[in-house]
Amino acid sequence: MIKAEPRTILNFLNTYFDVVRDLFEYQQQDGIITKEVYDMICHKHGPQMKSRLREYRVIRAVGGDYEMRDVYFKLMEFLLFEFKPLLPETIEKYKGAIAELFLKIRKSEIHDRDILIERIKNLSGQVREFVDLVERNAFRLLSETRDLKSNIDRVQYREKVNKASFWIEYYILPLNRILDVNHSESVTSKLVEVSEYANRKRLDYSDETVRNEYERLYVQLIQTNQDLLKQSKILTNELLPLLGRIRTESLILTGFIEFLRNPYKVETPPLLKGSRTMVYAKDMYFKVREFFEQFQVEGPVIVEEGVSDFDKWIFDRTLFKEKLAENMPVNDFFTWCFKALKKDFSEIETEKYFAVTGLLFDEDLQIDYSKKGERIEIKTTTSKLSVPKLKVEPTSKI
Amino acid sequence: MVYPTHHRRIVEELMGGKFLLSNEEHFNSLKENEKFYAEFFKVSFDLELVMKPDYYYLLSKDTQENFSRDVSIFVAILAYELDRDGKNFTDAFDYHEFNFEEIDQYFDNSSFIDLIESNKTLKDAESRRTLLNGMSRRNIIFKTFEDRFTFTQAYKVFVDFAKDLALKRMKGETEQTETETT
Repeated sequence: MIKAEPRTILNFLNTYFDVVRDLFEYQQQDGIITKEVYDMICHKHGPQMKSRLREYRVIRAVGGDYEMRDVYFKLMEFLLFEFKPLLPETIEKYKGAIAELFLKIRKSEIHDRDILIERIKNLSGQVREFVDLVERNAFRLLSETRDLKSNIDRVQYREKVNKASFWIEYYILPLNRILDVNHSESVTSKLVEVSEYANRKRLDYSDETVRNEYERLYVQLIQTNQDLLKQSKILTNELLPLLGRIRTESLILTGFIEFLRNPYKVETPPLLKGSRTMVYAKDMYFKVREFFEQFQVEGPVIVEEGVSDFDKWIFDRTLFKEKLAENMPVNDFFTWCFKALKKDFSEIETEKYFAVTGLLFDEDLQIDYSKKGERIEIKTTTSKLSVPKLKVEPTSKI
Repeated sequence: MVYPTHHRRIVEELMGGKFLLSNEEHFNSLKENEKFYAEFFKVSFDLELVMKPDYYYLLSKDTQENFSRDVSIFVAILAYELDRDGKNFTDAFDYHEFNFEEIDQYFDNSSFIDLIESNKTLKDAESRRTLLNGMSRRNIIFKTFEDRFTFTQAYKVFVDFAKDLALKRMKGETEQTETETT
């Protein structure tokens, strides 16, 4: 019997949450709180702490040591989301409890109304606990698996293989069997059976109160089946492949690391040695003959002259420079350029014309501009150019 | 006697030490005539035809094959470095297109640098190019461009080798399986 008010206990938990969390963590880790640990945690909070922990029934003495009472332990687990995965054998016990209650419900329904209602309620409670445990287990397994994948703890590859295999063998596969609706012995298939029964009874049971209880149970079971299906999908689609992958990859890496420790002492995968023909090989003569024979028969070679669609004219600067020198002084340089080209070509492209006019930049030339600013018009095949009238003559030497 | 389609190509490539892959046109002919070819290679050349769903290859009794050792070291270091880089190396081997620069970075910064530097086919970028060209010729990698490649399914030979080795070591079989090769 606890004399303290519930609010007082909650206030205590609030004020001394760190103490209770420390106690929880020690118990979670070691399964018990040793006297030394208990004294160490309580010491800094004075003698009052121990008496309060006892008074509020947080702690119970076990021999010389202590343990946190189950209700507080579960509360802390829930608050800190620190669930320890339960072995599926522990969860499977619900199958027995649910099956037993279901059997008695079916037997007792015509005899005693009150006990029937109690049994339906109890069955509902067992289902609730079962789903809760499955959800917590799946969550914890997922979290552990992700930790293993990200390898925060720097677990060695070999240990990763063992861990992944351990989770698969002892937790995930058995839990999956419990949840497998197609397995006649699974808890889920039993729940489906109960659900079908509750569905019929919520409609045809003579007593209204009982009908309502069946209705509640049926609604709960519909939701439960959906939740379990979801958990089953997490296990099958996410956890098993992820763990399988961790196991395989870690196994391969373990092998590679083992190999790299001493790569010249381990037998590597045998492959076929690539064939290499030596000059003294028996078939060398035939191979060489085959090689040279491929050049003996030459197919007809046809050389077609390429039809070029442009005139490959290359500007002969020296030639044109000589021509210009012969005609010096030239009163109209640009017209001279045009005429000089015209002697060789009937049509003059802008490109050719510009090439010849480049002579203007010759340092040996002296250029005079027309004072009137006269301009000449030159027509090439593609352009009409307006150029100034320029007189060019050799540079006068001083 | 009528030989299966692509017979000459099948024989030449396998005898040249190549892996024959499932995406090649002569793969199906070999697959349909598995039994014939297994016997053919055994009787004619005393070679074993290894048949896997994704690839075929020949192996001889000669285990002094340096190429296999070099490729094993290459794949082992690359897998280790990819994992250290937070990547799923099996995914990378299956789907990733590697470029030479990336490979060089992994190898130049590897903690197995002593081993890399002491191996003449892995010691520098140029040597690694030669090894990769050899792997390409044998269909272990597929060169998508001059400096890029993907692994073919043949890489699984080396992964299976690692798995077997790990299982043996984990079972405590150590020195017995080691050879005295140097």
